[in-house]
Amino acid sequence: MKQRYFSTFQLILLALFSALVVVAKIALRLPLQLSGHSGVFWMALVIIAAGVVPKRGAASLVGLTSGVIASFLGMGDFGALNTFLSYTAVGVGTDLMLLLLGSPENLLIATLAATVGHFCKFVVKWSLGAITGAPVGFVALGLTKAIVGYIVFGALGGLLGGLTLAALRKAGFFTYIAEKR
Amino acid sequence: MSQRTRILIAVLILVVLVGAILGIDALRRRSSPTPADAPVVLEAGSIPIYVNGTLAAGFTPDDLAELEQVSFVDAEEGKTQEGWLLRDVLLLHLAQRDLDPDTLVTVISTSRDKSAQLTWAEVDDPANSVMFDLSGRGTLKLVSLLERLDVRDEWIQDVDKIEVVNQ
Repeated sequence: MKQRYFSTFQLILLALFSALVVVAKIALRLPLQLSGHSGVFWMALVIIAAGVVPKRGAASLVGLTSGVIASFLGMGDFGALNTFLSYTAVGVGTDLMLLLLGSPENLLIATLAATVGHFCKFVVKWSLGAITGAPVGFVALGLTKAIVGYIVFGALGGLLGGLTLAALRKAGFFTYIAEKR
Repeated sequence: MSQRTRILIAVLILVVLVGAILGIDALRRRSSPTPADAPVVLEAGSIPIYVNGTLAAGFTPDDLAELEQVSFVDAEEGKTQEGWLLRDVLLLHLAQRDLDPDTLVTVISTSRDKSAQLTWAEVDDPANSVMFDLSGRGTLKLVSLLERLDVRDEWIQDVDKIEVVNQ
């Protein structure tokens, strides 16, 4: 029988992380009037997912699944397509960076991968606006602030995710998972 | 390839993405949308305000610095919407005497094919919080506490035109 790329257990884990991304976006609120601040939570979750399921495509699958869930829940200010593509871009961007850089258990790699992954969300939002003819960047200062926000909060999320992965390793989570297999 | 090189490539990718966005944005803002026969010269990147079908003014990002910021928490997602009252934006360019309570103010997003029509009385009432909030990609979205304009589906994102029609 042909071996499947992701095991059922891994798919369940990734689905859980996808749901957590959406829950974090809805339930966890920081009193910051800055674009992309929710990236602190969900980039941490994407990095943890990529660390717990160390296979190419894990982050993309989390992005894709959370994008589907968020779109059906009507989240986002710019419509379902925008929400779906931006969430997916987070996962794909993170995966591509991890493909280049390696394991997210290294704090620097986790931070950098999450920064680029989170920024991909902004790129998608901005690109869709530009393609549809929206006056994107009407307020140039707002655009710069948004760019900085996405980079900083993405990096913080990646760092948080990397630290969580380190804590999980220290607590013996990965040994436990290996034994379960 | 060494890890150091890979990290440098990743940083370079990020810098290129940021540079591309800022560069394209600067180019877009430089291209002026002013029609050749317009009596008012629109500054590049400004939002035109039409009064009774005639271009009367252009609302520029610099105008925002002169306006007081207000905020409210939307009932739908509990997020704080912060921005500038539409009332203040219009009064910056139009005289109050030209705006009657039944004057119609239409805020339009051409790219999203959406618009919201309000009376001046509604816009003028601070309790309605009819205001522009700055979206993450730097566009303005019309948000309000008015019942027909208080959820995301009803908001006007990517506003690029304002029309004022006296009855």
